[in-house]
Amino acid sequence: MFDGLSVAFARPPPAARTSDLSGARGRSYPVTVRPARTEADVAMEKYAIGDAAAFAVVYDALAPRLYGYLLRQTRDPASAEDLLQQTMLHMHRARSRFLPGAEVTPWAFAIARRLLVDGLRRTKREVLFDTGDADAGASRSPKADDLVHAREVASRIQRALAELPQSQRAAFELIKQEGLTVAEAAQVLGTTVAAVKLRAHRAYAALRTALGDAEPWLEGSKP
Amino acid sequence: MSRPSPELRARVLAAVRAEPVPSRPAGTWRSVAIVALGLGSVVLLGQAGGGPQLRERPLGYVVALALVWLPIATLATWAGFGRGRSMLGRPAGWSFAVAVGTPAALLVTWLGVAVAWPETMQDASGGQAHLVCLLATLLLSVGPLVAFFVVRRGGDPVAPHLSGAATAAAAGAWGAAALPLFCGFTAPLHIAVGHVLPVALMAALGALLGGWVFAVRAR
Repeated sequence: MFDGLSVAFARPPPAARTSDLSGARGRSYPVTVRPARTEADVAMEKYAIGDAAAFAVVYDALAPRLYGYLLRQTRDPASAEDLLQQTMLHMHRARSRFLPGAEVTPWAFAIARRLLVDGLRRTKREVLFDTGDADAGASRSPKADDLVHAREVASRIQRALAELPQSQRAAFELIKQEGLTVAEAAQVLGTTVAAVKLRAHRAYAALRTALGDAEPWLEGSKP
Repeated sequence: MSRPSPELRARVLAAVRAEPVPSRPAGTWRSVAIVALGLGSVVLLGQAGGGPQLRERPLGYVVALALVWLPIATLATWAGFGRGRSMLGRPAGWSFAVAVGTPAALLVTWLGVAVAWPETMQDASGGQAHLVCLLATLLLSVGPLVAFFVVRRGGDPVAPHLSGAATAAAAGAWGAAALPLFCGFTAPLHIAVGHVLPVALMAALGALLGGWVFAVRAR
Protein backbone atom coordinates (compact mmCIF):
# COMPACT_ATOMS: atom_id res chain seq x y z
CA MET A 1 0.00 0.00 0.00
CA PHE A 2 2.62 2.47 1.02
CA ASP A 3 4.81 1.33 -1.82
CA GLY A 4 1.89 2.04 -4.06
CA LEU A 5 1.28 5.37 -2.36
CA SER A 6 4.96 6.21 -2.71
CA VAL A 7 4.64 5.51 -6.39
CA ALA A 8 1.48 7.54 -6.74
CA PHE A 9 2.58 10.63 -4.86
CA ALA A 10 6.29 10.78 -5.55
CA ARG A 11 7.27 14.26 -6.64
CA PRO A 12 9.62 14.81 -9.55
CA PRO A 13 13.18 15.83 -8.70
CA PRO A 14 14.19 19.50 -8.72
CA ALA A 15 14.74 21.08 -12.10
CA ALA A 16 18.50 21.29 -11.77
CA ARG A 17 21.11 20.50 -9.20
CA THR A 18 24.50 22.01 -8.71
CA SER A 19 27.18 20.57 -6.54
CA ASP A 20 30.48 21.86 -5.41
CA LEU A 21 33.02 20.55 -3.03
CA SER A 22 34.53 23.33 -1.00
CA GLY A 23 37.74 22.43 0.69
CA ALA A 24 40.16 24.07 3.01
CA ARG A 25 41.60 27.48 2.17
CA GLY A 26 38.55 28.32 0.11
CA ARG A 27 39.42 25.91 -2.67
CA SER A 28 36.70 24.24 -4.61
CA TYR A 29 36.96 21.04 -6.59
CA PRO A 30 35.28 20.11 -9.83
CA VAL A 31 32.31 17.84 -9.44
CA THR A 32 29.62 16.69 -11.81
CA VAL A 33 26.49 18.72 -12.32
CA ARG A 34 23.78 16.63 -13.91
CA PRO A 35 20.56 17.69 -15.61
CA ALA A 36 17.37 16.95 -13.72
CA ARG A 37 16.37 13.87 -15.74
CA THR A 38 18.99 11.73 -17.40
CA GLU A 39 18.41 9.47 -20.35
CA ALA A 40 18.57 6.50 -17.97
CA ASP A 41 15.94 8.05 -15.68
CA VAL A 42 13.52 8.57 -18.54
CA ALA A 43 14.15 5.13 -20.02
CA MET A 44 13.72 3.34 -16.69
CA GLU A 45 10.47 5.20 -16.13
CA LYS A 46 9.24 4.05 -19.55
CA TYR A 47 10.32 0.51 -18.74
CA ALA A 48 8.51 0.60 -15.40
CA ILE A 49 5.23 1.61 -16.98
CA GLY A 50 5.36 -1.08 -19.64
CA ASP A 51 7.72 -0.20 -22.50
CA ALA A 52 9.78 -3.40 -22.66
CA ALA A 53 12.16 -2.00 -25.28
CA ALA A 54 13.25 0.81 -22.96
CA PHE A 55 15.47 -1.49 -20.92
CA ALA A 56 17.98 -1.60 -23.77
CA VAL A 57 18.24 2.19 -23.49
CA VAL A 58 18.77 1.87 -19.74
CA TYR A 59 21.53 -0.65 -20.40
CA ASP A 60 23.22 1.50 -23.03
CA ALA A 61 23.10 4.56 -20.78
CA LEU A 62 24.49 2.90 -17.68
CA ALA A 63 26.53 -0.13 -18.67
CA PRO A 64 29.74 1.64 -19.76
CA ARG A 65 29.99 3.66 -16.54
CA LEU A 66 29.09 0.73 -14.31
CA TYR A 67 31.53 -1.50 -16.15
CA GLY A 68 34.30 1.06 -15.76
CA TYR A 69 33.60 1.30 -12.04
CA LEU A 70 33.47 -2.46 -11.58
CA LEU A 71 36.58 -3.01 -13.70
CA ARG A 72 38.52 -0.49 -11.64
CA GLN A 73 37.48 -2.28 -8.47
CA THR A 74 37.99 -5.88 -9.59
CA ARG A 75 40.74 -5.52 -12.24
CA ASP A 76 39.11 -8.53 -13.84
CA PRO A 77 37.01 -8.02 -17.00
CA ALA A 78 35.14 -11.29 -16.48
CA SER A 79 34.22 -10.42 -12.89
CA ALA A 80 33.25 -6.89 -13.93
CA GLU A 81 30.97 -8.24 -16.65
CA ASP A 82 29.43 -10.75 -14.28
CA LEU A 83 28.70 -8.05 -11.71
CA LEU A 84 27.36 -5.73 -14.40
CA GLN A 85 24.99 -8.45 -15.59
CA GLN A 86 23.78 -9.06 -12.04
CA THR A 87 23.28 -5.32 -11.50
CA MET A 88 21.22 -4.92 -14.65
CA LEU A 89 19.12 -8.00 -13.86
CA HIS A 90 18.49 -6.71 -10.37
CA MET A 91 17.24 -3.44 -11.85
CA HIS A 92 15.05 -5.40 -14.21
CA ARG A 93 13.55 -7.39 -11.34
CA ALA A 94 12.74 -4.13 -9.54
CA ARG A 95 10.73 -2.90 -12.54
CA SER A 96 7.39 -2.97 -10.75
CA ARG A 97 8.81 -1.11 -7.74
CA PHE A 98 10.52 1.72 -9.60
CA LEU A 99 9.36 5.03 -8.19
CA PRO A 100 8.28 7.82 -10.56
CA GLY A 101 10.91 10.52 -10.64
CA ALA A 102 13.54 8.38 -8.89
CA GLU A 103 17.15 8.74 -9.98
CA VAL A 104 18.54 5.66 -11.65
CA THR A 105 22.27 6.35 -11.58
CA PRO A 106 22.85 6.33 -7.79
CA TRP A 107 20.54 3.34 -7.49
CA ALA A 108 22.49 1.42 -10.13
CA PHE A 109 25.83 2.29 -8.54
CA ALA A 110 24.55 1.31 -5.10
CA ILE A 111 23.43 -2.08 -6.41
CA ALA A 112 26.73 -2.60 -8.21
CA ARG A 113 28.70 -1.60 -5.13
CA ARG A 114 26.65 -3.89 -2.88
CA LEU A 115 27.09 -6.83 -5.26
CA LEU A 116 30.79 -6.09 -5.43
CA VAL A 117 31.16 -5.98 -1.66
CA ASP A 118 29.02 -9.08 -1.30
CA GLY A 119 31.15 -10.91 -3.83
CA LEU A 120 34.37 -9.80 -2.19
CA ARG A 121 33.13 -10.98 1.17
CA ARG A 122 32.34 -14.34 -0.29
CA THR A 123 35.65 -14.81 -1.98
CA LYS A 124 37.56 -12.93 0.73
CA ARG A 125 39.67 -11.23 -1.85
CA GLU A 126 41.11 -7.79 -1.42
CA VAL A 127 39.94 -4.95 -3.61
CA LEU A 128 42.64 -4.03 -6.04
CA PHE A 129 42.87 -0.86 -7.98
CA ASP A 130 43.84 -0.91 -11.58
CA THR A 131 45.77 1.71 -13.42
CA GLY A 132 43.02 2.51 -15.86
CA ASP A 133 43.26 6.15 -14.96
CA ALA A 134 46.74 6.20 -16.33
CA ASP A 135 45.16 5.85 -19.73
CA ALA A 136 42.47 8.35 -18.82
CA GLY A 137 45.05 10.83 -17.66
CA ALA A 138 47.15 10.24 -20.74
CA SER A 139 44.25 10.88 -23.04
CA ARG A 140 43.99 14.37 -21.61
CA SER A 141 47.67 15.00 -22.34
CA PRO A 142 48.52 14.21 -25.92
CA LYS A 143 52.22 15.07 -25.66
CA ALA A 144 54.62 12.19 -25.08
CA ASP A 145 56.28 13.83 -22.09
CA ASP A 146 52.92 14.41 -20.55
CA LEU A 147 52.06 10.78 -21.15
CA VAL A 148 55.00 9.59 -19.09
CA HIS A 149 54.27 12.14 -16.41
CA ALA A 150 50.59 11.18 -16.34
CA ARG A 151 51.47 7.53 -15.86
CA GLU A 152 53.72 8.40 -12.97
CA VAL A 153 51.06 10.56 -11.41
CA ALA A 154 48.43 7.88 -11.89
CA SER A 155 50.64 5.32 -10.24
CA ARG A 156 51.21 7.64 -7.27
CA ILE A 157 47.49 8.36 -7.08
CA GLN A 158 46.70 4.66 -6.95
CA ARG A 159 49.21 4.12 -4.16
CA ALA A 160 47.87 7.11 -2.25
CA LEU A 161 44.29 5.98 -2.80
CA ALA A 162 45.07 2.53 -1.50
CA GLU A 163 46.29 4.06 1.75
CA LEU A 164 43.13 6.08 2.32
CA PRO A 165 40.42 4.87 4.73
CA GLN A 166 37.74 2.95 2.85
CA SER A 167 35.06 5.58 3.44
CA GLN A 168 37.22 8.39 2.02
CA ARG A 169 38.36 6.27 -0.90
CA ALA A 170 34.78 5.33 -1.80
CA ALA A 171 33.65 8.96 -1.74
CA PHE A 172 36.61 10.04 -3.86
CA GLU A 173 36.13 7.26 -6.40
CA LEU A 174 32.42 7.85 -6.87
CA ILE A 175 32.80 11.60 -7.32
CA LYS A 176 36.11 11.90 -9.09
CA GLN A 177 36.40 8.68 -11.04
CA GLU A 178 32.79 7.72 -11.68
CA GLY A 179 31.45 11.23 -12.15
CA LEU A 180 28.61 11.06 -9.65
CA THR A 181 27.38 14.24 -8.02
CA VAL A 182 27.99 14.68 -4.32
CA ALA A 183 24.30 14.05 -3.67
CA GLU A 184 24.36 10.86 -5.74
CA ALA A 185 27.49 9.62 -3.99
CA ALA A 186 25.81 10.29 -0.65
CA GLN A 187 22.86 8.14 -1.70
CA VAL A 188 25.10 5.32 -2.90
CA LEU A 189 27.08 5.35 0.33
CA GLY A 190 24.00 5.72 2.52
CA THR A 191 25.19 8.86 4.24
CA THR A 192 24.66 12.59 4.15
CA VAL A 193 25.87 15.08 1.57
CA ALA A 194 27.90 16.83 4.25
CA ALA A 195 29.60 13.59 5.24
CA VAL A 196 30.50 12.80 1.63
CA LYS A 197 31.86 16.31 1.14
CA LEU A 198 33.98 15.90 4.23
CA ARG A 199 35.25 12.47 3.22
CA ALA A 200 36.05 13.59 -0.31
CA HIS A 201 37.75 16.71 0.97
CA ARG A 202 39.92 14.66 3.31
CA ALA A 203 40.73 12.31 0.45
CA TYR A 204 41.72 15.29 -1.70
CA ALA A 205 43.85 16.69 1.10
CA ALA A 206 45.57 13.34 1.64
CA LEU A 207 46.17 12.92 -2.07
CA ARG A 208 47.47 16.46 -2.39
CA THR A 209 49.95 15.78 0.36
CA ALA A 210 50.96 12.49 -1.20
CA LEU A 211 51.28 13.90 -4.70
CA GLY A 212 53.04 17.13 -3.96
CA ASP A 213 54.10 18.60 -7.30
CA ALA A 214 51.50 16.62 -9.21
CA GLU A 215 48.67 18.46 -7.47
CA PRO A 216 47.43 20.18 -10.66
CA TRP A 217 46.09 16.80 -11.79
CA LEU A 218 43.63 16.86 -8.93
CA GLU A 219 42.29 20.30 -9.58
CA GLY A 220 42.71 20.53 -13.31
CA SER A 221 40.87 17.40 -14.37
CA LYS A 222 37.20 16.79 -14.39
CA PRO A 223 35.60 13.45 -13.71
CA MET B 1 37.59 3.84 -21.57
CA SER B 2 36.92 0.12 -21.45
CA ARG B 3 33.46 -0.95 -22.46
CA PRO B 4 31.51 -4.12 -21.79
CA SER B 5 31.44 -6.58 -24.64
CA PRO B 6 28.54 -6.57 -27.11
CA GLU B 7 27.98 -10.22 -26.16
CA LEU B 8 27.21 -9.14 -22.61
CA ARG B 9 24.57 -6.72 -23.85
CA ALA B 10 22.92 -9.48 -25.85
CA ARG B 11 23.16 -11.84 -22.89
CA VAL B 12 21.59 -9.36 -20.46
CA LEU B 13 18.75 -8.44 -22.78
CA ALA B 14 18.08 -12.12 -23.47
CA ALA B 15 18.00 -12.83 -19.74
CA VAL B 16 15.58 -9.95 -19.26
CA ARG B 17 13.28 -11.34 -21.94
CA ALA B 18 13.48 -14.81 -20.41
CA GLU B 19 12.46 -13.55 -16.96
CA PRO B 20 9.34 -11.40 -17.37
CA VAL B 21 8.60 -8.99 -14.53
CA PRO B 22 5.26 -7.19 -14.20
CA SER B 23 5.18 -3.49 -14.93
CA ARG B 24 4.62 -0.97 -12.16
CA PRO B 25 0.83 -0.70 -12.49
CA ALA B 26 0.46 -4.47 -12.04
CA GLY B 27 3.11 -4.58 -9.33
CA THR B 28 1.47 -1.78 -7.36
CA TRP B 29 -1.81 -3.65 -7.15
CA ARG B 30 0.04 -6.77 -6.06
CA SER B 31 1.80 -4.80 -3.30
CA VAL B 32 -1.46 -3.23 -2.16
CA ALA B 33 -3.07 -6.67 -1.97
CA ILE B 34 -0.20 -8.14 0.04
CA VAL B 35 -0.18 -5.26 2.53
CA ALA B 36 -3.97 -5.42 2.84
CA LEU B 37 -3.70 -9.13 3.64
CA GLY B 38 -1.01 -8.42 6.23
CA LEU B 39 -3.03 -5.73 7.97
CA GLY B 40 -6.19 -7.79 7.57
CA SER B 41 -4.54 -10.60 9.50
CA VAL B 42 -4.47 -8.30 12.55
CA VAL B 43 -8.24 -7.90 12.36
CA LEU B 44 -8.80 -11.60 11.78
CA LEU B 45 -6.60 -12.61 14.70
CA GLY B 46 -8.33 -10.06 16.91
CA GLN B 47 -11.74 -11.43 15.97
CA ALA B 48 -10.52 -14.96 16.56
CA GLY B 49 -9.48 -13.87 20.04
CA GLY B 50 -13.01 -12.72 20.89
CA GLY B 51 -13.16 -9.27 19.31
CA PRO B 52 -12.93 -5.87 20.99
CA GLN B 53 -13.83 -5.87 24.70
CA LEU B 54 -13.86 -3.12 27.32
CA ARG B 55 -13.04 -5.41 30.29
CA GLU B 56 -13.91 -2.84 32.99
CA ARG B 57 -11.91 -0.05 31.36
CA PRO B 58 -13.39 3.40 30.69
CA LEU B 59 -14.72 3.59 27.15
CA GLY B 60 -13.03 6.96 26.70
CA TYR B 61 -9.65 5.46 27.60
CA VAL B 62 -9.98 2.68 25.04
CA VAL B 63 -11.19 5.02 22.31
CA ALA B 64 -8.53 7.63 23.07
CA LEU B 65 -5.75 5.05 23.01
CA ALA B 66 -6.99 3.69 19.69
CA LEU B 67 -7.26 7.20 18.26
CA VAL B 68 -3.65 7.88 19.24
CA TRP B 69 -1.97 4.54 18.54
CA LEU B 70 -3.58 3.80 15.18
CA PRO B 71 -2.25 7.07 13.68
CA ILE B 72 1.17 6.26 15.15
CA ALA B 73 1.07 2.87 13.41
CA THR B 74 0.03 4.57 10.18
CA LEU B 75 2.77 7.17 10.50
CA ALA B 76 5.36 4.52 11.33
CA THR B 77 4.29 2.56 8.26
CA TRP B 78 4.67 5.61 6.04
CA ALA B 79 8.03 6.48 7.57
CA GLY B 80 9.43 2.98 8.05
CA PHE B 81 7.98 0.97 5.20
CA GLY B 82 7.59 3.71 2.58
CA ARG B 83 10.66 4.55 0.51
CA GLY B 84 10.12 8.24 -0.01
CA ARG B 85 11.30 9.50 -3.38
CA SER B 86 14.44 7.43 -3.78
CA MET B 87 14.99 3.87 -4.95
CA LEU B 88 17.58 3.69 -2.20
CA GLY B 89 14.96 4.22 0.49
CA ARG B 90 15.03 6.57 3.41
CA PRO B 91 18.29 7.88 4.87
CA ALA B 92 19.84 5.67 7.54
CA GLY B 93 19.23 8.25 10.25
CA TRP B 94 15.57 8.38 9.33
CA SER B 95 15.20 4.60 9.60
CA PHE B 96 17.00 4.58 12.92
CA ALA B 97 14.69 7.30 14.22
CA VAL B 98 11.64 5.29 13.16
CA ALA B 99 12.94 2.10 14.79
CA VAL B 100 13.69 3.84 18.07
CA GLY B 101 10.99 6.47 17.96
CA THR B 102 8.01 4.20 17.31
CA PRO B 103 8.04 2.34 20.65
CA ALA B 104 8.97 5.58 22.41
CA ALA B 105 6.04 7.39 20.80
CA LEU B 106 3.66 4.59 21.81
CA LEU B 107 4.82 4.78 25.41
CA VAL B 108 4.71 8.56 25.66
CA THR B 109 1.28 8.86 24.06
CA TRP B 110 -0.08 6.08 26.27
CA LEU B 111 1.16 8.06 29.27
CA GLY B 112 -0.72 11.09 27.99
CA VAL B 113 -3.94 9.07 27.71
CA ALA B 114 -3.43 7.40 31.10
CA VAL B 115 -3.03 10.76 32.81
CA ALA B 116 -6.54 11.63 31.65
CA TRP B 117 -7.85 8.42 33.26
CA PRO B 118 -5.60 8.02 36.32
CA GLU B 119 -7.69 5.19 37.72
CA THR B 120 -6.33 2.99 34.93
CA MET B 121 -2.80 3.23 36.30
CA GLN B 122 -3.46 0.38 38.73
CA ASP B 123 -4.74 -3.08 37.92
CA ALA B 124 -4.24 -6.71 38.85
CA SER B 125 -1.89 -7.61 36.02
CA GLY B 126 1.13 -9.72 36.79
CA GLY B 127 4.04 -11.41 35.09
CA GLN B 128 1.85 -13.94 33.32
CA ALA B 129 -0.41 -11.23 31.89
CA HIS B 130 2.63 -9.26 30.74
CA LEU B 131 3.99 -12.32 28.98
CA VAL B 132 0.66 -13.18 27.35
CA CYS B 133 0.28 -9.66 25.96
CA LEU B 134 3.90 -9.56 24.83
CA LEU B 135 3.38 -12.76 22.86
CA ALA B 136 -0.01 -11.58 21.59
CA THR B 137 1.49 -8.32 20.30
CA LEU B 138 4.24 -10.25 18.55
CA LEU B 139 1.66 -12.62 17.06
CA LEU B 140 -0.50 -9.76 15.80
CA SER B 141 2.59 -8.16 14.25
CA VAL B 142 3.59 -11.19 12.23
CA GLY B 143 1.12 -10.59 9.39
CA PRO B 144 2.14 -6.98 8.72
CA LEU B 145 5.80 -7.94 9.10
CA VAL B 146 5.60 -10.70 6.51
CA ALA B 147 3.61 -8.46 4.14
CA PHE B 148 6.02 -5.53 4.44
CA PHE B 149 9.05 -7.76 4.02
CA VAL B 150 7.61 -9.56 0.99
CA VAL B 151 6.90 -6.24 -0.74
CA ARG B 152 10.30 -4.75 0.03
CA ARG B 153 12.50 -7.86 -0.24
CA GLY B 154 15.81 -7.43 -2.02
CA GLY B 155 15.22 -3.72 -2.36
CA ASP B 156 17.79 -1.99 -0.17
CA PRO B 157 21.38 -1.99 -1.37
CA VAL B 158 22.55 0.61 1.16
CA ALA B 159 21.26 0.04 4.72
CA PRO B 160 19.16 -3.15 4.83
CA HIS B 161 19.53 -3.67 8.58
CA LEU B 162 18.18 -0.23 9.43
CA SER B 163 15.42 -0.51 6.86
CA GLY B 164 14.48 -3.86 8.38
CA ALA B 165 14.39 -2.36 11.86
CA ALA B 166 12.19 0.54 10.77
CA THR B 167 9.85 -1.69 8.78
CA ALA B 168 9.52 -4.20 11.61
CA ALA B 169 8.87 -1.40 14.11
CA ALA B 170 6.00 -0.27 11.89
CA ALA B 171 4.65 -3.83 11.79
CA GLY B 172 4.97 -4.04 15.56
CA ALA B 173 3.10 -0.76 15.92
CA TRP B 174 0.08 -2.34 14.21
CA GLY B 175 0.11 -5.21 16.67
CA ALA B 176 0.52 -2.82 19.58
CA ALA B 177 -2.27 -0.57 18.32
CA ALA B 178 -4.69 -3.48 17.97
CA LEU B 179 -4.09 -5.26 21.26
CA PRO B 180 -5.56 -2.63 23.65
CA LEU B 181 -8.91 -3.28 22.00
CA PHE B 182 -8.84 -6.74 23.57
CA CYS B 183 -6.54 -6.51 26.61
CA GLY B 184 -8.11 -5.32 29.86
CA PHE B 185 -4.89 -4.47 31.71
CA THR B 186 -3.72 -0.88 31.87
CA ALA B 187 -0.95 -0.61 34.51
CA PRO B 188 2.24 1.15 33.44
CA LEU B 189 4.43 -1.93 33.80
CA HIS B 190 1.96 -4.02 31.81
CA ILE B 191 1.77 -1.47 29.00
CA ALA B 192 5.55 -1.14 28.91
CA VAL B 193 6.31 -4.87 28.97
CA GLY B 194 3.27 -6.36 27.27
CA HIS B 195 2.48 -3.73 24.64
CA VAL B 196 5.48 -1.52 23.92
CA LEU B 197 8.46 -3.80 24.54
CA PRO B 198 7.35 -6.15 21.74
CA VAL B 199 7.57 -3.25 19.28
CA ALA B 200 11.18 -2.73 20.29
CA LEU B 201 11.75 -6.48 20.01
CA MET B 202 10.23 -6.41 16.54
CA ALA B 203 12.61 -3.62 15.56
CA ALA B 204 15.55 -5.68 16.79
CA LEU B 205 14.27 -8.73 14.94
CA GLY B 206 13.78 -6.60 11.83
CA ALA B 207 17.37 -5.39 12.04
CA LEU B 208 18.52 -9.00 12.03
CA LEU B 209 16.19 -10.13 9.27
CA GLY B 210 16.67 -6.99 7.20
CA GLY B 211 20.24 -7.88 6.35
CA TRP B 212 18.96 -11.14 4.95
CA VAL B 213 15.64 -10.12 3.37
CA PHE B 214 16.24 -6.55 2.17
CA ALA B 215 19.85 -6.83 1.09
CA VAL B 216 20.85 -6.96 -2.55
CA ARG B 217 22.60 -10.26 -3.11
CA ALA B 218 24.12 -12.06 -6.03
CA ARG B 219 22.01 -14.92 -7.31
